[in-house]
Amino acid sequence: MIVKYFATIRDLTGETARPIEGAPRDVRELLQQLAQRYGAPFRRAVFAGDELHDQIILLVNGRNVRYLQGLATTLQPDDEVSIFPMVAGG
Amino acid sequence: MFGWTGTILRVDLTKGKVTREATDPQLARDYLGARGLGGRIVSNEVDPTIDPLSPSNKLVFAPGPLTGTFAPSAGRFDVVTKGPLNGSLAGSNSGGTFGPEVKYAGYDAIIIEGKAAKPVYLWIKDDEVEIRDASAIWGHNTHDTTDLVRAETDEDAKVACIGPAGERQAPIANIMNEMHRAAGRTGVGAVMGAKNLKAVAVFGSGAVTVADPERFKAAVIKARNMILAHPVGGTGLKAYGTDVLVNILNQTGALPTRNFQDGHFPNADKIGGESLAAKVLVRPKGCFSCVISCGRVTKVDSPAYAGYGEGPEYETAWAFGADCGIDDLNAVTAANYLCNKYGIDTISMGATIACAMELFERGIITAKDTGGVQLTFGNAAAMVEMVRQVGENEGFGAKLAEGSYRLAESYGHPEYSMTCKKQEMPAYDPRGVQGIGLNYATSNRGGCHVRGYTIAIEVLQNGAVMDPHVTEGKAQLDITFQDLTAALDSAGACLFATFGIGGAELTEMLAALTGVDYTLDEFMRIGARIWNQERLWNLKAGLSKADDTLPQRLLSEPIKTGPSAGEVSHLDQMLPEYYALRGWDEQGVPTKAKLKELAL
Repeated sequence: MIVKYFATIRDLTGETARPIEGAPRDVRELLQQLAQRYGAPFRRAVFAGDELHDQIILLVNGRNVRYLQGLATTLQPDDEVSIFPMVAGG
Repeated sequence: MFGWTGTILRVDLTKGKVTREATDPQLARDYLGARGLGGRIVSNEVDPTIDPLSPSNKLVFAPGPLTGTFAPSAGRFDVVTKGPLNGSLAGSNSGGTFGPEVKYAGYDAIIIEGKAAKPVYLWIKDDEVEIRDASAIWGHNTHDTTDLVRAETDEDAKVACIGPAGERQAPIANIMNEMHRAAGRTGVGAVMGAKNLKAVAVFGSGAVTVADPERFKAAVIKARNMILAHPVGGTGLKAYGTDVLVNILNQTGALPTRNFQDGHFPNADKIGGESLAAKVLVRPKGCFSCVISCGRVTKVDSPAYAGYGEGPEYETAWAFGADCGIDDLNAVTAANYLCNKYGIDTISMGATIACAMELFERGIITAKDTGGVQLTFGNAAAMVEMVRQVGENEGFGAKLAEGSYRLAESYGHPEYSMTCKKQEMPAYDPRGVQGIGLNYATSNRGGCHVRGYTIAIEVLQNGAVMDPHVTEGKAQLDITFQDLTAALDSAGACLFATFGIGGAELTEMLAALTGVDYTLDEFMRIGARIWNQERLWNLKAGLSKADDTLPQRLLSEPIKTGPSAGEVSHLDQMLPEYYALRGWDEQGVPTKAKLKELAL
């Protein structure tokens, strides 16, 4: 499993990607693990209370978890997770 | 009238005559300005069956009522005409500072008619208008043209001009303003070149009048604060520019790669907004009255591609990058600078080179055609050289200047041109994002993303989220975006203001500015009216349901790799519903009832 960071999330983590140790069962557990690693600014960016922050776009294998099972979306060992802040262009 | 100036300028280049007429208040109310009013003028005055490059075509420069006020990002204008790429009621929207100057000079629209006997430029200083000799300026790139015209007129004049590509009437030629902003699409530069019109220079000392200044000021402050509070409008676009989209489209599996042969580009990060910020960005830049500042002032130091300018935007980075299989940001940026100087649409240019690369790799064109250049995917130097050849009208450049449809067709393989209605599709793969495919297929001006930008919901989560892989709900989504954008374009606002505000805030600003009691419903109905106006005219120009389609590749060849592997476009599931919701018959013709409802 690998998690990739983009745009301002790279500033919060100091890196562009990280292989994931352990086997987080779902997206919530993964984000909690990452928040432990990167600290409060990262936690504040990805969580709003107990929910996924509405300014975060989180993809599992290219699919936005908001039309999957949200933070309860289960993860497999070879998944690729991408974390973006809201972005735009045209 | 408030908001509008009340005057339209008409310039007959054949007779060398300049006249003024009053803006029709009812037309202004019903079509706003810019794309809507310009489209109404072309609709009324141009025969849909004429040759777009003939003197019978008209070219309308039109700002909107909001243009030139301090409404957020209210600096836009449209150029409207019969487009040479596909004969549609076409045109392009642009930012910068040209649009406000046209309002300050006192005009709701500048209608260019006929053809000058020799190259000319137009100099408008308030109500003094001259058609001046441009013989000494013809042949110059857009940067030198802007400097030369200012030297002859006023150092503070705002200048819209064509480069060598427009002079040669290349169907992918654009009109640049302020050197770095483009009315990019549909070949508007070719129409200007066909009229022997090199530039329009404007200086205005007037102001925009406001019906209810206190109400307008309150609405503007509220809107600006909403945009500033939005993560994208307030900070995201300023930090990374539009090029930030490269990675999210790639991670979604919908970044068209190597002429839409795939939807995932392994080295995408090298040409994305994060890399741009780290490697070539000098500073952000905003247009008139803009708090967003999505523009990029950039510089390339590498000797092979050294240069300074603005951009690239996302579409450009994609077109010269992933679509050509290229991950060299310096080369992509250099190609962007060349297009701006020569006056060429970057989307159509990059996508045409990508088409040529596929034809080359398939052996349909050879090194003999390309003058020895190995025009293969990934060859950055070849890509930049091709742009240069188009600009200089050398070698294979003469063929590439025609756009990918005419290029591929000339070699007997139009199926390798990734176009809709002969205009190159932009940077979103319809197989990975169903709704944008429907928008490409139904867009009145051809392959276009921006006039129905469902990506905002299907990928970017702006206010709502819809699964990009499903077709359900996409017909209505497209219609909502198309109508809202048509009205917004016509008001003179920038589309990026919608990262912060919506139709309600735009309507409130319009009502306070003009004194017309616009409601949100009427605002959307105006958008639908403008969309249907374009559609009706296109049908008379010979376009039909048969043109509301996508290249066969996207309908039947699945994406090969990445998160959208295995997907194709399901346009056939969306188009009938789109027609029905639009109030059109099964042939895509607006019904009498719909036309009556829209007062068309």
